[in-house]
Amino acid sequence: MRTALGMAVGLVLADSSVVVLALPEIYRDYNVSVSAVIWVLVAFNLVLAATAVPAAAIARRVGPARGAVAGLGVFTAASLACGLSGSLAVLVAARCVQAAGGALAAGAALELLPAEVGSERRAAIVWAAAGATGAAIGPAAGGLLTQLVSWQSIFLVQAPAALVVALAILPKARAEAGGAAIRAELRRTGRPHGAANLALGLVSAGLAAALFLLVLLLIEGWRNSPIEAALAVSVLPISALVTGRFAGAVADVRGRAIAGILLLAGGLAGLGVLPHASIPATFPSQVLLGAGLALVLSALTETALEGRAPQAIHGGWTLAARHAGVVLGLLVMTPVFTSDLTTQRAAAEQAGTAALLDAQISIPEKFSLAQRLADRLTAESGKVPVIAPAFDPLPSAPADRAGELALEADLQNQLDRAATHAFSASFLIAALFALAALLPIAFARRATL
Amino acid sequence: MSSRGLIVGSGAAAALLVLVSLALGGASYEPAGVGDPCQSRQWQPGSGLDHVAQQLSLSALDGAACELHVSRETLVISLASPQGRQAFASDPQLADSLRAGLIKAIDDAESSGDLPGLVAAGLREVVANLPADQLISTIRNAGGLLGQLGVDVPSLPNILGG
Repeated sequence: MRTALGMAVGLVLADSSVVVLALPEIYRDYNVSVSAVIWVLVAFNLVLAATAVPAAAIARRVGPARGAVAGLGVFTAASLACGLSGSLAVLVAARCVQAAGGALAAGAALELLPAEVGSERRAAIVWAAAGATGAAIGPAAGGLLTQLVSWQSIFLVQAPAALVVALAILPKARAEAGGAAIRAELRRTGRPHGAANLALGLVSAGLAAALFLLVLLLIEGWRNSPIEAALAVSVLPISALVTGRFAGAVADVRGRAIAGILLLAGGLAGLGVLPHASIPATFPSQVLLGAGLALVLSALTETALEGRAPQAIHGGWTLAARHAGVVLGLLVMTPVFTSDLTTQRAAAEQAGTAALLDAQISIPEKFSLAQRLADRLTAESGKVPVIAPAFDPLPSAPADRAGELALEADLQNQLDRAATHAFSASFLIAALFALAALLPIAFARRATL
Repeated sequence: MSSRGLIVGSGAAAALLVLVSLALGGASYEPAGVGDPCQSRQWQPGSGLDHVAQQLSLSALDGAACELHVSRETLVISLASPQGRQAFASDPQLADSLRAGLIKAIDDAESSGDLPGLVAAGLREVVANLPADQLISTIRNAGGLLGQLGVDVPSLPNILGG
């Protein structure tokens, strides 16, 4: 049962990031803009944030096991609808329903966990860890499925997985009393932990950049395949899992939260000042981000839940804070990086033209190459172009051949620089979001955080 | 590990990552800037018609871009489209900027010793009387401009001392 509950939370929270690697495919399939396709992510997180607390209340009213099964049922049906959707509007609508079902399942799981793991504190740790693991693994899993099968398969695979988890909880739901006793307990609901939830929201705003922008940079900026990107970003969840095993050694949640925030801010700032365009260059930042994620999410979630009843309601508040933060991060950073992409596209065009004009190749070859490069730009319709085909075949004259090879390297360098720089400001803003999470912690009473 | 040790270690790791990235050039990892067309570019050493023609074209682009207060690259990008070429061919002011660029290029070639004075004077005369719609193709193919002097183009490297 404990595994099933952990899987329920992991599945739901993985969904907040699982489509990140699929977004480029989705916006190509539906022929929409980046600003439009971002709603596949935003809608899910927005609805999850808005429904987390009411869903937790509903779960307690109908009985947490019944709530978990019902939530997973809705999640399953909505996942199927996502996978079979024929338009962006239907996909976004199905994502909203999926989020509502997910909120019900995740809130109910937190209410069920204490009986399974022995204490509310332990339940909070398991619940937070399952969510963090799901969110961290989501992009890599989504990337693998997108390339090996299709982006639709992400949702079609989730549906039977959620169904299996629901079936595992079903016997408990059938045996559940529900009703009056739980309704009476609702009156004891205390105020949510303001500082911890506010910090969770700000940290999540920064994490949205880590999970979303990094993947876009790898696929759209540096033109890696979804599988390459999935493997590349797997450093982050590995770091989170390793750190998570040792995080409990430091009992002071305030220390863990501050350390985690510093690591997150450092990792995000590191991505904002990448010295060159290569996957290994992102690894140090990912290590810091994973470690920071494991430290800060567990510390803040434990704090938000400790000594507060009922757990499901306060767990709902943490879900609401986290996913509202993700929405905030996406809504602030998307216009920044789309604007920077346009600026850097123009800068790359100028730098590339300069490189072509100054290239050590003959005039006829220069004009022929310019035409082939222009054709590549047209064929890629505004995206970062793959320029290698324009240089194929290389000229037979040795001088022109050497000149073209040097030019190809120079043009690729300028494109890499432009693509990387286009994301810099957004990563730095994300780092500021993470650092801002220190403020509520600083102002919170020492006794509470 | 103590709470204080964890915070100090995390802060140090974060600062180290950012400082190393900056030291490796992270703050300036962006596309190369373009040069000021009004600043004379060095006339590249070399010989042969193709070399002289390339230098003439590049210098002409610089001169025209300087007249228009845009970068050389912006001018090239605008000349790449049919609409851009039409605008330059039909607007006398734009055409004059191209003509001024070509004259400057001939001056530069003469100063560098790549064009003899007599040839340079002849080319200036040709450029001054070129119809507006031929200025763009002349900048693109300065070798053709040399051919307009009425000499055998393949023999020009010899005439020019190449």
